[in-house]
Amino acid sequence: MCFLCLFVATCSAVSRRALLILLLLAISFGCKSGAGQRVSLPARVTRVVSLAPNLTEIVFAVGAGDKLVGRTSYCDYPPEAKAVAEIGDTLHPSLERIIALKPQVVLISTSSQLEVFTQQLQNQNIAVFVTDPHDLEGVFRSIQEVGEMLGQKDQADQLVTKLRERTTAVEQAVKGKQPVRVFYQVSAEPLYTAGHDAFVTDLMRRAGAASVTANVPGAWPKYSNESALAARPEAIILPTGGSMGSVNSDVTEALRQSPAALHGRVYKINDDYLTRPGPRAIDGLEAMARALHPDAFK
Amino acid sequence: MNRVTLRKTLISCALLGAVLLLAIVSMSLLGSERLPARASLCALASLGSSACGLTQDQFDILFQIRLPRILLAAAVGGSLATAGAGYQALLRNPLAEPYLLGISNGAAVGTMISLVFFGAIEWTRPLLAFSGAFAATFAVYRLARGRAGATPERLILAGVIVTTFLSSVIVFVTTLMDATRIRSFTFWLLGDLSGSSKALLPVAITITILGALTLTLHARSLNLLMLGERDAFDLGVEVGRVRMVVFLVASLLVGSSVAASGSVGYVGLVVPHLARLSLGSDNRISIPAAALGGALFVIVADTVARTIIAPRELPVGAITALIGAPLFIYLLKRV
Amino acid sequence: MLEARDLTIAYDHRTAVADLTLSLKAGEITAIIGPNGAGKSTLLRALNGQIPKVAGVIMLDGQPLQRLNRRSISRHIAVVAQEAELRFPVTVLEFVLGGRFAWATNSGWGWETERDLEVANAVINETELRDLSARLMNELSGGERQRALMARALATEAPILLLDEPTANLDLSHQATLLTLVRKRCDQHRSAALVVTHDINLAAQFANNITLMKQGRAVHSGTPQEVLTPEILQEIFEVRVLVDAHPITGGPRVTPIISA
Repeated sequence: MCFLCLFVATCSAVSRRALLILLLLAISFGCKSGAGQRVSLPARVTRVVSLAPNLTEIVFAVGAGDKLVGRTSYCDYPPEAKAVAEIGDTLHPSLERIIALKPQVVLISTSSQLEVFTQQLQNQNIAVFVTDPHDLEGVFRSIQEVGEMLGQKDQADQLVTKLRERTTAVEQAVKGKQPVRVFYQVSAEPLYTAGHDAFVTDLMRRAGAASVTANVPGAWPKYSNESALAARPEAIILPTGGSMGSVNSDVTEALRQSPAALHGRVYKINDDYLTRPGPRAIDGLEAMARALHPDAFK
Repeated sequence: MNRVTLRKTLISCALLGAVLLLAIVSMSLLGSERLPARASLCALASLGSSACGLTQDQFDILFQIRLPRILLAAAVGGSLATAGAGYQALLRNPLAEPYLLGISNGAAVGTMISLVFFGAIEWTRPLLAFSGAFAATFAVYRLARGRAGATPERLILAGVIVTTFLSSVIVFVTTLMDATRIRSFTFWLLGDLSGSSKALLPVAITITILGALTLTLHARSLNLLMLGERDAFDLGVEVGRVRMVVFLVASLLVGSSVAASGSVGYVGLVVPHLARLSLGSDNRISIPAAALGGALFVIVADTVARTIIAPRELPVGAITALIGAPLFIYLLKRV
Repeated sequence: MLEARDLTIAYDHRTAVADLTLSLKAGEITAIIGPNGAGKSTLLRALNGQIPKVAGVIMLDGQPLQRLNRRSISRHIAVVAQEAELRFPVTVLEFVLGGRFAWATNSGWGWETERDLEVANAVINETELRDLSARLMNELSGGERQRALMARALATEAPILLLDEPTANLDLSHQATLLTLVRKRCDQHRSAALVVTHDINLAAQFANNITLMKQGRAVHSGTPQEVLTPEILQEIFEVRVLVDAHPITGGPRVTPIISA
């Protein structure tokens, strides 16, 4: 089900109109994938390729950075990752380069639309580990699974414990406080926001925010300007400044007269924290919580 | 069918104009947020001077978001249909349309360049869209010029070459974009009227009206051109000059539409066809009718696009394609 | 009315017309005859102002053709086309009204005047298309369409008519009708006509003047009697012919001799 829409989504990297429309629908409706899938892994993994920035961060965070032999051009964190060989970008990784690096397993995030790719890798006897966390619990699970697979179980467990502590701290701080009505702006024009299936929606909930688009179907829906205006958000979150650079640093026109904008409650947060389901998501969680409930963190 | 007279033209245009006005008013009552109908009508009738009981938010939604969007839809639809009618007359081909000649893709490439390299600077977008449209027109024209002049066959061939080339450029640049940009760009490429560059709206409307007027003022020449360039020449039409005017005006119309809203397809193909089917091939009536009909078509399509999965939106180009393609197949069978 | 002096037209290293001098006089039909590639059609196009680069002079009523604008040329010279491109539906009346474009006061716009309608209906009658005037052009037969083309040219009220192989696709009765129409125009309205044709015998009957062209040059010119001789025709067409007197009209009748 999910693979089908992603397959279609992959094919749509050409200009045929019908496929582009399907791509749109596929993205809108999103994809519900659960935990990672294991595919005939060797006992000891020493060479791994990562095809998504969040997975690269997880590999380094569990202390297995020395086992990473390949990464995408978007994998820029931690700084040590930049020394690892590049194998293309998240949407069009080079199969040849991956094979040349002789990995034992390739880490794939389904949100990178690589299902077609998976089959080819398996044909080369390279195991594929697929993980696409949709919420924080999913991130913790992914960290543990990757850690175990790469022989860093203890470190992974420690990391998860620490991250859980920080999460609980945040949740406690904002407990009992009135959730702030928030609009999460992915891009101003056309106006995109985070829907029900987006990872960051879970983060916002934990940070004491009530995302006005929390129940909109899909992960990254294109949102109506009218509804954004009518929602009258108290705060606006602009993911920007990380990989996105200075893009998305202005509030979309429909929200310029919103309570959020008029009271100056527009918060720019590093997009990498909010869009990469990895250890730094907790940084994003903390940043949001602090911005939305400053009095809870004195 | 009787020959077209001034009276017949004025009556048809007045009727279409009335329907268009009705559509503007009624579609502005529809949207992802419910507005009280009576109060909205009252506010519209007062042209915004009185809120008639609408809350500030409702008033803003109606006058800051919906109405400008509907007017933009009208401008885009009118421009594309007029350009389509012009190309069909000039190329003597009832199936000619702006996309066929690569003009829309040229404008799209121009817009892409502005997004990728001049992202922050707003006014580069329409400017580069026009430039792209003109450049594509120029390229097509130069490619098509043979000894006998630019015959329709050569023009269409040149157009197809330019279109496919530019399509691959678009795909190439798309692969250089990151995931977020791709998502929003893909949406735009399929036609997106939600852009809020209200400053450009008066420009877009002016261009539509001036463009439609200019082509209508050449309607009699186009009537003769439609029956053969050589015959038109013999009968007194300055073929080279009229061809240049149509090309330039149509490029301007298409460039302005694409800059505002991406590529909205099928309008330039289906609407002029319908206009000719119902009112005759005389351009004096079919060009203004196409302009008004195009505006109507895109207004309705956009209303569907912004209400059918509310509060989410579909690209309007998807709706015009869903309506236009079957309609076109039906028209093909009739011809 | 219309004359060409020392006209030379060359393109792509080929000389299509060389040092040609020709003059059309009111009330006269001039036929241009010659083998394929002799430059006849090019000559016709040049006389209509369609070829911008020519050496020599083309004068229309004493004015050089290059100095005149498209519309005024069209008021004086009408081309009767061989066939029409009918990709869009148009009625006969609308089609014939197209001939009135040159008289429109506004450039690309404007509506037909009463006079326009009068003229159009008159020529529709003249070409016996009255019953068909509301029908669509592509519903007409080949002969009817040819008459419509003729009607459109006549609707321009231009005193000079240029016809490029007008009888090529017509059966005998239509050939006669068409040329009779041209003859009538020249006789009654003092028009001048230039007819490019392969049909020597038709030309012999209808033309006042025949010019024979070969390789871009006007080799012989004169009345049918004068130029339709076996010697001249053999020179032009490189074929033996028999020329005798037509038993009814008395004019020259040409028959090629094809030895078995």
